[in-house]
Formats: sequence, C-alpha cells, structure tokens
Amino acid sequence: MNGIYLLKRLITSFAAFCIAVTIMFALLRLMPGDYITMYLEAIYRYAPPDVVEAFNRVYGLDRPILEQYVIYLLDAFRGNWGYSFIYKVPVIAVIGEKLVWTLIILFPATILATLAGIGIGAYSGWRRGSKADVGLLNGMIFIRAIPSYWLALMILIIFAYYLNLFPLGGYVDTSALATGIDPLDVANHAVLPILTLFLFSVTGTYYLMRNTMLMTAGEDYITTARAKGLDELTILRKHALKNAMLPMVTLITFECAGMITGSIFVETIFSWPGLGMLTYKALAARDLPLLQGILLIDTLFVIAANIAADLIYPLVDPRVQVGDDA
Amino acid sequence: MTGDALLEIRGLKVGFPTPEGLVRASDTVDLEIYPRETLGLIGETGSGKTVLGMAILRLLQPNTIIEGEIRYRGRDLLSLPEAEMQRVRGREIGIVLQNSGTSLNPVYTVGTQIAEAVILHQGLSGPDARQRAVELLDAVGIPDPVRMAGEYPHRFSGGMRERALIATALACRPNLLIADEPTKGLDAVTKRGIVDLFSEIDRDHSVLFITHDIETAGDLATRVAVMYAGEIVEIGGAEEVLGDPAHPYTRGLLASLPERGMQPIPGSAPSLITLPSGCRFSPRCGCAVENCSREHPGLVEVGSGHYARCMLYD
Repeated sequence: MNGIYLLKRLITSFAAFCIAVTIMFALLRLMPGDYITMYLEAIYRYAPPDVVEAFNRVYGLDRPILEQYVIYLLDAFRGNWGYSFIYKVPVIAVIGEKLVWTLIILFPATILATLAGIGIGAYSGWRRGSKADVGLLNGMIFIRAIPSYWLALMILIIFAYYLNLFPLGGYVDTSALATGIDPLDVANHAVLPILTLFLFSVTGTYYLMRNTMLMTAGEDYITTARAKGLDELTILRKHALKNAMLPMVTLITFECAGMITGSIFVETIFSWPGLGMLTYKALAARDLPLLQGILLIDTLFVIAANIAADLIYPLVDPRVQVGDDA
Repeated sequence: MTGDALLEIRGLKVGFPTPEGLVRASDTVDLEIYPRETLGLIGETGSGKTVLGMAILRLLQPNTIIEGEIRYRGRDLLSLPEAEMQRVRGREIGIVLQNSGTSLNPVYTVGTQIAEAVILHQGLSGPDARQRAVELLDAVGIPDPVRMAGEYPHRFSGGMRERALIATALACRPNLLIADEPTKGLDAVTKRGIVDLFSEIDRDHSVLFITHDIETAGDLATRVAVMYAGEIVEIGGAEEVLGDPAHPYTRGLLASLPERGMQPIPGSAPSLITLPSGCRFSPRCGCAVENCSREHPGLVEVGSGHYARCMLYD
C-alpha cells in the first residue's frame, strides 16, 4: 500500500514540478530588459546591435521561445542547468557555493526560532490569560508589526554602529586576505543576520504553537491526565505538547524548505554572500540561467518538504495512516 | 446511615463568572458518601451534576468560584495545597469523565495511559505497570487485553473506551470512584454491558454515579440524590426515592419514563444566572401554591434518611 502511495505521490509531485518550471520560464521572460543590453549600456552607455546579436546567438536566445523552452526543459532534467551570464560558470556550481553561506546563517536561525517558538508558544498557550502570556503575546505582536527591513536596519545601526559590538556587514574581516578564513570571524559576522532572521521567523512559529496549545489545553484528555494526579508540567510536556505539535510538522518542514530560499533582504542589508543576495544580483542583472536555477532549487525543496511532511505525520500521529484509502 | 462518611460535602457553592452574570452551577449542596455505597446522582442536563463531580477533584477551570467544604476522610480538599491534591487525584479518588470518546489521549496507547497512573502513585516499574494495565483491561472486560493494551484509542469502540477509562480510574484502587454519565451516547446493548460491569466489578470503594438515566441509577445505586437547578431537591435510599418519590420534580422525572407514560415535565429548566425566586421548581410544578414562589424551602425529612426540598412537607 505504501509503495503505491509513494509512487502516486511522486507522479503528482513531478507534475507539480513541471508546471512550476513552465510558469517560471514564462515569467522570467516577461521581465523587461535583457542581460547583454543592460550590461553594455552600463559600461559604454550604448549597446552595439551586432554585439547583442552575437551574444544572443551564442546563448541560443535568438531561437523561437518554444524551442528555447523545450531545450531548457530537457537540459534541466539532464542536470545541465546552463551557465550564469554574470559568473560564466555552471549555474549549479554558483548555487552550491552560495548555498553554504546561506545555510551558515539560516540553519541556526531556523533551528533556534523553531525551538524558541514552540517552547514560548506552548508555555503562552498553556498559561492562557496569565501575565506571562499577555506579555509574550504583545511582545510577539510588536515584533511582527515592525516592517522587517526596518528591524534589520535598526539592529544594524544599534549593535554594529552605535554599540560597535559586531561588524557592519560582510562575512569575513579584511585580514582574511592575509590569514585565510577564520571560523570565529565568520561567526562574529553571522550574529546579526542570525538575530534578524530569528526575530522574523520566531513570531510565526509562536503564533501557531500558542493557538494549537490553546485548543489542546481544553481537550478532555488533558482533564483525564489531571484527574490521574499528574502535575501540570508533566501534563504539558507529555500530553499537551505532543498533540499540539501535530500542526507544527507542516510548518517545520516548510521552514526547512525556506532555509534554502535564503532571505533576500537580510542578506542584502548585511551584505551576506548567500543565495538571497545571489538572487538579488541575478535579478538586477537579468541573469536568466542563474534565476532559473535558483527557482528550480526552491521548487524542488518545497516539493520535497511536502512529501517529507506526509511521511512524518504517521510517525507522530498514530491515527494517520498514509496511503490508506479507508 | 451507619458509620462515618468517606466524603462529606458541606454548603458547596460553585459559580462561573461570565459576561452575562454568575452561573450558579451548584448552590449550597450538602451530601455524604459512605464507604462502599453507590450514590446515584440524577437530574436533567445542566442541573449541576457534572460540576459537582468535577468540583470534588478540583478539576474545574481556575477562575471558578468555589465555597464550602469537601471533606474527604476529615481533610478539606478545597483548602489542600495543589501538590497534595495531586496525590488525592487518581490515588484516593478516581473519576471517569463524560465524553469517553475524547477523554483518552490519541497519541498514546491505552496501556501506556493506564500504566501512567500506576507508575505515578504506586511506584511500579514500567513493565510491571504494563502488566497491571493488562490485568485492569481484563478486569473491565476488554477482550484480548494484551494486544489491546498496545493499541491506540482510535482502535477502541465507544463501549471499550468507556471500559478503558473505568480501568484508568480504578488503576490505583481508589476509595471513591466518580463516574460521570458513563453510559452516555452508548447503544442499549453496550450500555447494559457497562451497567453490568459496575455491578459486577470486585470492589471495596464507594461510587458516585452521575447520570440522567433513572433506570441505571435504580439498578446500581443504594442511595439516590436528585439535583435540580444546582440544588439537591431530594435524597434518600434508592428504593424510597425512586419507589415513593416525595418531591414533585422526582415524580415528574419518573412519569417521563417511557414505561410510565412518557409524560414530560412542562416548561424547561431555569437559567442558572437568573434563578426563580422561592422554590426553583415552582414555575414548572403542578402542586405549586402561592407560597412556593416566595419562600425557598429547605430539605425536610420525609422518611428515614429520606429528605425532600418542598413546601408540601413544611
């Protein structure tokens, strides 16, 4: 049963992937401007038509759009994602390198935000209406209400400029040119981006966790647990948390998929050389192969997260049996 | 009644503050439960039966206003510190909650949930507690208890969940078992099975059997208390109360039974926020006289150990 289910799931996922790729391809080509014209105009204030034509011929951009689409689709499945216009190297290589940097800030931020969101949200929901709950809820609403780019800028100004505790941007000190990259130096540069990403992400997890905990706290089986003589902490930990975690599975898997996407403006504001900043650069330069590659990776991870959530559910909730039609 | 009461409720008032006003779910209730007896607590939905059961174990929501005394073996449960109350719950007094369908945690096996109480109160090791859980499931009539102990609640039928909850409540051999509508929502055959279980199970504990089902109360109870609008309106031996009811409300309840003509009591139960003046049943009572809506009657002894709250006996 599970094998057939998995097969069905893979087929529908494949269909979703094809549709996403098609939409991406079409949307990117609807963008005004093209790489070579913008590049030449930026440097020479003038784009000689024969140079533009020669460039388009080399990259196959002069062929009919449908032919380009078919070639792209076939190559994408063969693992040939093309060459970046900006970097002149295979798209996969560029993404691979930047992905590492993105993960350096997003992995700790996501893990911390998920754990903190679950912990604080569970406590807040369990102690509904208490001073702690009201305080936490209002604090979270406050953070959520601040425009995130402004929050990032304020963090930068306060901690890096006025307090001078952390560097203003980048990922290593210039001394790295002489001594090589020092992990501690990288960590020091990563603190503020991680803090910013943490604050963006923690409120969402907190809200969902608080809400599911509110519902769980009123369940009859919680009263049963209390009637057995269990103390409040045990009831919260053993009986409430596990049930309240069920809706979190989906959120957590998508947070993980989101890690790969990077965060465009956090990386841009902190000059962090990750996927987010890469996306921004590729967009600004109209680097179509690179943009396609980035979006392709995002699509793959979201689809994978979806399948993962489906497979994790039955492990957490005994009532869910994946693939059972009954 | 002979001997000292196991549980003694004195002047119990339970109120829920709501935006519309205070809901007086229980008003000056006096009640004793004696060792080994089964006290049937009957009344319509909303009469305060469940609230009374939950109040004994302090399981009501934190903002509930509770006054009076609930003395269990001489100790007032209402003034006990929370940590000590936790040692009473499950160990001294067990409760089978209403809604058996949702009272078991869906993510743990039934065996685990029963064993939890045994580990907590009797200090048994994991495997020993599992063994005890299997024995308990067997005792409440669950077929193939070894296998069923390892199953999750959604694999249990309604009747089996009820049995599993009874096993949980009895796991630590409490002195008092509170059973809140254990036959609610069950079909006739399953219901019969649960009632038989209550009458057959080996025990030296007392039972407070809360039900709106008069027949079940008659089958099981040695004494019966009738609640109306948060008050006890009649209490006494089961045979006296159900065989020769003194209060017009009890008579009305009995007359509404299918085999006795299915005569419903006219009107509906009053709101617990704005209670009628005088006797709370007077607006619906066929025997009401002018005085009934003015004076609030007290419990009057109408026979040996048989009391009724009615002007007829004043």
